[in-house]
Amino acid sequence: MKIKNLKPAIFMGILFIVLIAGILIYRSFAKEKELTRYTATFLDVFDTRTEIVGFAVNKEKFAEDAQLIKDRLIYYNQLYDIYNDYPGVNNIKTINDNAGIAPVEVDPEIIALLEFSIDTYYETDGAVNIALGSVLSLWHRQREIGIADPERAKLPDADALKEASHHTDITGIIIDKEKSTVYLSDPEMSLDVGSTGKGYAVQRVMEYAREKGLNNVLLSLGGNISCIGTRIDGSNFRLGIQNPDVYSDEQYIEMVDINDGECVVSSGDYQRFYEVDGVRYCHIIDPDTLYPSDEFAAVSVITDDSGKADSYSTALYTMSLDEGMAFVKERDNVEAMWVMHDGEKIYSDNFKEKYVK
Amino acid sequence: MNNKRIAFLGLFVALAFVLSYIEYMLPLNIGIPGAKVGFANLVVMVALYTVGEKNAIALSLIRVVLVGLTFGNISMMMYSLAGAALSLFAMLIAKKIGKLSVTGVSVLGGVFHNIGQIIVAMLVLETESLIYYLPFLMVIGTITGVLIGFVANLITIRVKRVFRM
Amino acid sequence: MKKNDVILIAALLVVALLTAGGMRIWQMNNTKDTANVVVTIDGEVYGTYPLSEDRTERIELPDGSYNILVISDGYADVTEASCPDQICVKHNHIRYSKESIVCLPNKVVVTVEGGKENEIDGSTF
Repeated sequence: MKIKNLKPAIFMGILFIVLIAGILIYRSFAKEKELTRYTATFLDVFDTRTEIVGFAVNKEKFAEDAQLIKDRLIYYNQLYDIYNDYPGVNNIKTINDNAGIAPVEVDPEIIALLEFSIDTYYETDGAVNIALGSVLSLWHRQREIGIADPERAKLPDADALKEASHHTDITGIIIDKEKSTVYLSDPEMSLDVGSTGKGYAVQRVMEYAREKGLNNVLLSLGGNISCIGTRIDGSNFRLGIQNPDVYSDEQYIEMVDINDGECVVSSGDYQRFYEVDGVRYCHIIDPDTLYPSDEFAAVSVITDDSGKADSYSTALYTMSLDEGMAFVKERDNVEAMWVMHDGEKIYSDNFKEKYVK
Repeated sequence: MNNKRIAFLGLFVALAFVLSYIEYMLPLNIGIPGAKVGFANLVVMVALYTVGEKNAIALSLIRVVLVGLTFGNISMMMYSLAGAALSLFAMLIAKKIGKLSVTGVSVLGGVFHNIGQIIVAMLVLETESLIYYLPFLMVIGTITGVLIGFVANLITIRVKRVFRM
Repeated sequence: MKKNDVILIAALLVVALLTAGGMRIWQMNNTKDTANVVVTIDGEVYGTYPLSEDRTERIELPDGSYNILVISDGYADVTEASCPDQICVKHNHIRYSKESIVCLPNKVVVTVEGGKENEIDGSTF
């Protein structure tokens, strides 16, 4: 078979290709300002998983934004750490180590967290108490042992808990703002900011990011979620609320949509727990009983401040449902969802209407 | 190119233009973007088999520009141009290979016209989901191709006989 | 018509039928109850609406032209438009993932997007 003179056909083929290439080139120029969605995940701050969702013209620009947030998180992580020392940094562990010995000069951001936490203590009627360190550390030790070796899992000694509870008076935290020092007057007392530190840090970091001009950003620090603006297309950020039944096929028990400044936190018995004789003991300790709360599988809070969201979710987890409902009702812009052990979801008045789309 | 062919090219351009206008007035609206009977392709087919390939190409390009300027806009003109280019590309190759009759060539033209348009529309609108129209456009292109090919064949025979081309 | 023409036509129809069938099966398997309707204008996202919620949306373009999108009973449909060809209006309503209604003159594309699972930006722990 001989095919002669294919030039006209080739000419048309080339014309088509040139047309396509022209459109692609035009598009790529027109697209220059378009922002792409990126995510960054890291595991080296606050001992948990951090996720940043943002929109930028390219990877490098997003990495800059993410680094700005990450650097700030590292800063707060060092200040609010109760387990580790950092060279040249006086942190909460330093305060604990010097309990009954001497006031410790600290960064104003530590004093800000402590003052916020003390306000929260009174606001929640003692349900959130950062001076509960002595009690929490007993539970922490047994939980670590129990998780590492379930055979050796046991409850903390009841008398020891009782004794520790005598050293949880929040008025023992002596703050001198002028000198920027903190002193624990009771040598047996220690601070544990597990119920406020991460949330407060997220709030401060996002305020900083906002000042630096970041927009359309979502930050999740171990489930403490906050955002600036919306997605780049103007739609709300969508979040999954972890199903407390972690073995369920449904990973999320609810979807919520949030935007600018709204914060979400969940507290639940599925997060950190150990089992003794088949009974689950979670990490949220009721200051009244000194034992883990077990009324709910999880409580999620949405409000306009991440520090509040964090501490309220802990507080609601230890309150009864009626108390919790009343607590939410008394406050503007606070909504909550309780998940019962059978999976039933109970919403505060406006939760569904405002956040479940 | 002799005078007769130039006259014919002018005639064909006018005819294609009018047929495009008729198509514009009476669109084949079955809810699928890019679906057309392609009346104008009838003229291109006849030209292809009477006044030759180069003239058919010229006719096709002139028609696209004229119709685009008159009835459409730049993006419409790009859809048409892409369709015309890819369809002529397929038809010219098929005609050269010579295994297909006028009908087969016309069917290929119809199908590739639609494929070309959908590719450009996907790029312009950045919507890859338009690819889901492809099967429908292939069927429509085949049907209109058969009809156009049939009519084009009748016309070509008569034009050739009457004007001894 | 030659024999080759018939073979060509048959082949084209078979290919069209197979791809149409394959696509439809894929679409049906990838459409969840949580599917969304995404409207884009010239490639830019204009709005996203759940397919499960009945609503009427007037899609306004800067030049004054418009398309009216109606979502009802799990279907999305364009019921009215300012475009000259009215192809989008004539288009059947859509419900499966990746099905779309296109208005070329207005550069408006209405597409069904499968489900929301992959759309989550974050989750609580």
